[in-house]
Amino acid sequence: MATAAELRLESVWETPHTLLGKLSTVDHLELGKRYIATAMVFLMIGGIEALVMRLQLAVPNATVMNPETYDQFFTMHGITMIFWYAQPILTGLGVYLVPLMIGARDLALPRLNAFTYWMYLFSGLFLYASLLFADSPHAGWFAYVPYTTKAYSPGLGMDFYALALIFLTISTTGAAINFIVTILKFRAPGMALSRMPLFMFSSLTTYFAAIFSLPALTAACLFLELGRKWNFQFFNVSQGGDPLLWQHLFWFFGHPWVYIVFLPATGLISMLLPAFSRHHIVGYPYVAAATVLTGAVGFGVWVHHMFAVGEPQMSMSFFSAASMTISVFTAVQVFAWIATIWKGRPVLKTAMLYALGFLALIVIGGLNGIVTAVIPVDWQLTDTYFVVAHLHYVLIGANLFPVLAALYFWLPKMTGRMMDERLGKWSFWLSFIGFNLAFFPMQILGVLGMPRRIYTFPVGMGWTSMNLIITIGAFILGVGILLTIVNFFQSLRSGEMAGDNPWNADGLEWLTSSPPKPYKFVHLPTVVSRNPLWDDYDELEDPNNERIFSQDRLTLSTTWVEAKATELARIPEDSIIPVFSSLAMSWIFVAILFTSLWWALAGVILTLISAAAWLWPKHEAKVALQPQRQAVPE
Amino acid sequence: MSSLPYILPVELRQPPYPQDNRVGSNSILTFIATEGTLFAMLFASYWYLGKGKPQWPMGDPPKLHYAIPMLILLLASSAVLHFGEKKVREHKVGAGMIFLGITILMGLGFIAMSVLDYQERLQTLSPTQNAYGSIYYTTVTLHAAHLVLGLMMLLYVLLLPSIEPREVTPHWPYHNAALYWHFVDAVWVFVVFIMFIIPNIGR
Repeated sequence: MATAAELRLESVWETPHTLLGKLSTVDHLELGKRYIATAMVFLMIGGIEALVMRLQLAVPNATVMNPETYDQFFTMHGITMIFWYAQPILTGLGVYLVPLMIGARDLALPRLNAFTYWMYLFSGLFLYASLLFADSPHAGWFAYVPYTTKAYSPGLGMDFYALALIFLTISTTGAAINFIVTILKFRAPGMALSRMPLFMFSSLTTYFAAIFSLPALTAACLFLELGRKWNFQFFNVSQGGDPLLWQHLFWFFGHPWVYIVFLPATGLISMLLPAFSRHHIVGYPYVAAATVLTGAVGFGVWVHHMFAVGEPQMSMSFFSAASMTISVFTAVQVFAWIATIWKGRPVLKTAMLYALGFLALIVIGGLNGIVTAVIPVDWQLTDTYFVVAHLHYVLIGANLFPVLAALYFWLPKMTGRMMDERLGKWSFWLSFIGFNLAFFPMQILGVLGMPRRIYTFPVGMGWTSMNLIITIGAFILGVGILLTIVNFFQSLRSGEMAGDNPWNADGLEWLTSSPPKPYKFVHLPTVVSRNPLWDDYDELEDPNNERIFSQDRLTLSTTWVEAKATELARIPEDSIIPVFSSLAMSWIFVAILFTSLWWALAGVILTLISAAAWLWPKHEAKVALQPQRQAVPE
Repeated sequence: MSSLPYILPVELRQPPYPQDNRVGSNSILTFIATEGTLFAMLFASYWYLGKGKPQWPMGDPPKLHYAIPMLILLLASSAVLHFGEKKVREHKVGAGMIFLGITILMGLGFIAMSVLDYQERLQTLSPTQNAYGSIYYTTVTLHAAHLVLGLMMLLYVLLLPSIEPREVTPHWPYHNAALYWHFVDAVWVFVVFIMFIIPNIGR
């Protein structure tokens, strides 16, 4: 039976179930699910690209595709996985989970949230529109100049690369601003910084890192595009340019980006591992500090991608040492997780298996990372399959496995139905075994000298059998992930009902119904400890019904550090305008792709008009709220 | 562990509730942080391209006779806007809007002068001529683009309907647009110092 308060909240918060309603919704639950689904589609696309590449490399002198096509495949695989899957899936999980975990009713900027989702989708479509021209990016995910300048890469391929990345950057920056403001302002009363769920620490670190690293990518892509389209001379040595400028800018962005796709995943693990260990996380302050330090020191390691370039001795030693320092912070987290399992009573559900798999893989990936931070070894191994092995151990181990763990853990909250455990365990073991079959031999191949990005190899190099094993492993990994997707669709139809808190976990998100209502909480929760649902305090107890706030779309706003409730924030209602704004911005990028500045200007004007409409104040009476604070500041 | 119910502060127990209007300001400050980093990247690129070159800037250093007056104009406009915001805080919204209008005119004056500066500079240096020209024009133009965006924001605040009673303070859209305008001005300080004044020292 719905109470009167629930009915009132429902009428205030509900999005109409029409096409217009679906397009204009700003509900973080809906947008989070869209983010996750879109990112999973990009994972599938990138995965298929990888499998086709592995077919080409399965045997020596294969002719599945020609070298040019192969170049486009590995480039699109890299870009898709790194930019359109690995980060957006974490954004999506954050969009869905952050407000629930901190006890708020939505993100601070819901319309911006809708806008960043559409920008993400359109930028991906923009990138894949390059298929229509049979001219996709072909220079690897870091697109080194001068190979990518107009002289050596004519055609539209690299223009798609540069523009699509700037395009995506707008989306990611918007999401970062949204998360930072939300986490700092909307935490439940009592959720002081020292009591935040660890996912909030990793998210805050990540999105601050995004704020300060993405501009380097924007600048690099801007320089590249100005050079390609309008003959600017940033990278042309004969006119005073410097190709290394690209590498510095790209890696100044690129290395923090590695932590941007890694840290939120560790935050997810720090949330779900204690739930399955039946024990709170060991060393909470150390894990939190290690997270923040990883993000900060991550800005001081970019040159380790460039050891082979040749830098002054002092500079190389510094960056080598900084890179090794990072492993200390990661080790702190790993030991905290191991200690948590050790002290608890672990329950081996599928999500926990994926978390354990992550632990094993991140240790291997971390160790072979330390190896490559040693400069002489790096000179030997750079641009070989060893690096391919390392980056996949880190990215699949520290992104895909935690994400799958998170999906098994939180999908019951999103859909209201449990995933099948038997299928889940099959999926885990196939993924884990397939992954190691596919990537462990790559380390040996790298030491044997097989260069990365070659489209085929001759007989008699001693690489043949291992390449076949890798291909078999890749397909087993693919089947493993496919099983999880099958499992998901099966659970939608016939999964067990989940209930509010199927895992007896400790986070605030488990106070909501599964799936949560559009208003999430009837009574906004309050918090007195780090593990709200495991203490004996009732977060929802509200005898005088003072924390319902059903007069309008309202949520509590609290102070940054101590999270004391001070004011109410009004959440904007649904709007179709973010869709128009993102379409107008897409127009700009399409116009620049075809070098038509007047059309681009038209796009800019459209964007400005839509922004004006977006921000235009409304005439509605805000009965529940005092219009502004009355005091006159000095 | 306490099991007492959480007590809300008195003002939050019944309507009308105090409203949080600072989400916009917090967001624009974060936005300014990322935009500022973009300019930092451009300055870093300017330094990196000039590192180890026998002559940097390549060719003549930029002339100061437009850049310095433009700097003074912008700093003055920031001051004017700040006075305007103060007026608004003192419930004198009309006066605040007049100051806002003056700021916009000064911004337009900046654009007019930068057009003259471009005309003069383009006679001796083109963006495609060398790496110096490329980074110089990219930085200056990107700043001009941000300035135009700032002007749009100010104009928008000027045109905003007086739906919410204007006498209530502070006027958040005014405040937020002013934050961005001050940021654009601050960037020009760096541009003038790094790309105009320093190259003229010791030539």
